[in-house]
Amino acid sequence: MSAEPSAEGDDDEPASGALETWDRIKHTERFVLVSALVFVAVFPWAFTSLPLVPNNLLAYDQLARLVLIWGIFALGFNHLLGQTGLLSFGHAMFFGGSAYATALFANHVVADPLLSVVVGVCFALLLAVVTPFVLLRLHTVYFAIVTLAIAQMLYYMAREPFEGITGGINGLGVDRSPLFGLLELGADIPGIFGALWGTYMYLFIAAFFVGVVVFITRVRKSPYGLIFKAVRENETRASFVGLDVWRYKFAAFVISGFVAGIAGGLLPMETYFTGVERLHWTLSGDVVMMTVLGGLGTVAGPILGVIVFLYFEGVVNGLDVIGGYWLLSLALAFTAVVWKYPDGLWGMITSVSSRLRSRRGDQ
Amino acid sequence: MTLLELDDVHAYYGASHILRGVSMAVDEGEVISLLGRNGAGKTTTVRSITGTEPPEVRSGTVRFDGADITDWPTDDITRAGIGVVPEGRRLFTELTVEENLKMSEIASASWNTVRRRASGSGPPTMEIDELYELFPRLEERRSQRSGTLSGGEQQMLSIARTLRLPDLDLLLLDEPTEGLAPQIIRSVSESIREISDQGLTVLLIEQNVREALKLADRGYVLDQGEMVYEGTVEELENEDLDEYLVV
Repeated sequence: MSAEPSAEGDDDEPASGALETWDRIKHTERFVLVSALVFVAVFPWAFTSLPLVPNNLLAYDQLARLVLIWGIFALGFNHLLGQTGLLSFGHAMFFGGSAYATALFANHVVADPLLSVVVGVCFALLLAVVTPFVLLRLHTVYFAIVTLAIAQMLYYMAREPFEGITGGINGLGVDRSPLFGLLELGADIPGIFGALWGTYMYLFIAAFFVGVVVFITRVRKSPYGLIFKAVRENETRASFVGLDVWRYKFAAFVISGFVAGIAGGLLPMETYFTGVERLHWTLSGDVVMMTVLGGLGTVAGPILGVIVFLYFEGVVNGLDVIGGYWLLSLALAFTAVVWKYPDGLWGMITSVSSRLRSRRGDQ
Repeated sequence: MTLLELDDVHAYYGASHILRGVSMAVDEGEVISLLGRNGAGKTTTVRSITGTEPPEVRSGTVRFDGADITDWPTDDITRAGIGVVPEGRRLFTELTVEENLKMSEIASASWNTVRRRASGSGPPTMEIDELYELFPRLEERRSQRSGTLSGGEQQMLSIARTLRLPDLDLLLLDEPTEGLAPQIIRSVSESIREISDQGLTVLLIEQNVREALKLADRGYVLDQGEMVYEGTVEELENEDLDEYLVV
């Protein structure tokens, strides 16, 4: 919301200073692409080996990869809630569904990582195309509850009746062969890039991540983006301009499920494992929290939320004393942020920076 | 030629019988006023025409340009050529003035599933420049978020946005002057007159009898869900309808 002021049209005024230039470029698609590339290039290094930071406060390589995977998931979830106003409590169905499809394809057909992820995404897409015929008849809380119910239904199905296929509560080990039979993704990247990024797996995931950021931005900047906003604000009003609201909600739902499916497919490739907990409602809850904590309706917000969430789970968790209370401290941080800044961490950053700017303007 | 026709429409909110056989007709090029007190059923009539639920129309028909639109969904009705300016100046408040106007364009670009288009009897769609001429204040505020506009400006934008819809044959205004200052009312009324002078058919729902009669060719009076009077403006002015109206 706040990170996306909609006055993009007014570039007729000549840019007179650095700030004006910044305002002009910061919403362009090219800028988003460049920022995404810069982010994936420096993030793992900053996250895991920033100088002057005590060792026990630094994250580890895998956590950086998980941030990107969860970041994709949060962007997918955010596309539905932040753009269109539909709150899903069952996004685990796309995540876990895709994870299982990916894992089963890798184990029983071909273990190629790219191909397996594509299969997983196709399964998530299938779910996202079929479920709206039930879901989109419902509104607000009923929609949320029934998405939850469908996801939980899949969870219990994977847990008991299909235990033979899914491994039930024990989960499933997943095979992964080299990419196209050529490149082992687990191998270290040689030289300086290895120090920056670790293994080739990071690049594999980062490519999806950048692709998703660009895709989501494309949709937001297109006429569809405006239509989604209109639908979010008021469905009746949208139908008064002749929009078939159902169709746009359907489109948003499919896009969201598709993106969430990418994340779901990448995770078993990263961890060589998948389990029923990836279909569980708590996972749907996590992504809601990450997105709201970071800043709903923006691109940077959900990613920021993921970083903070996983940092608490993966790093604060390991600290002495406070480690045992990582979830409690995260919850307190969440409450404090959302209390003061309902637009989340990203909203906090934008409002602080605009306050600084207006103070500078006064002088 | 009759453009919009309601024939013995009975509408219900749940078990409550709100419209008890409403019939009315709007001819091409006319400005028709639908009058009545609060709770007379004016908005229910509007919602029955636009296909907004509730209410539920259980009997009777709504015909537009010859087609029975009683059971059509709202978006189909909009695409068929009825532009609605809903009560209470409903805008997309998070979008800017210009984006609100653009919304109609963007929406209409996706109208490839139109069931049918009306005869296209209305005037050509107004360009954004023409709308800014009609409502100069909107141009001044073009990059402002529409939620931050004053009530009068919001009403102007709501009308302007509706006028951007292509193939508009009927403009339906639900209480456009409600809650506005007298000076703004005059300016909005003037704009409505200009729009109707261009040949657009207008159905004006009003409590404000004086303003409505200034604009209208004919008027209908609704009371407790029934049409109690129909006539030309001159007849309405001479008739003693005080018991049904707020004057």
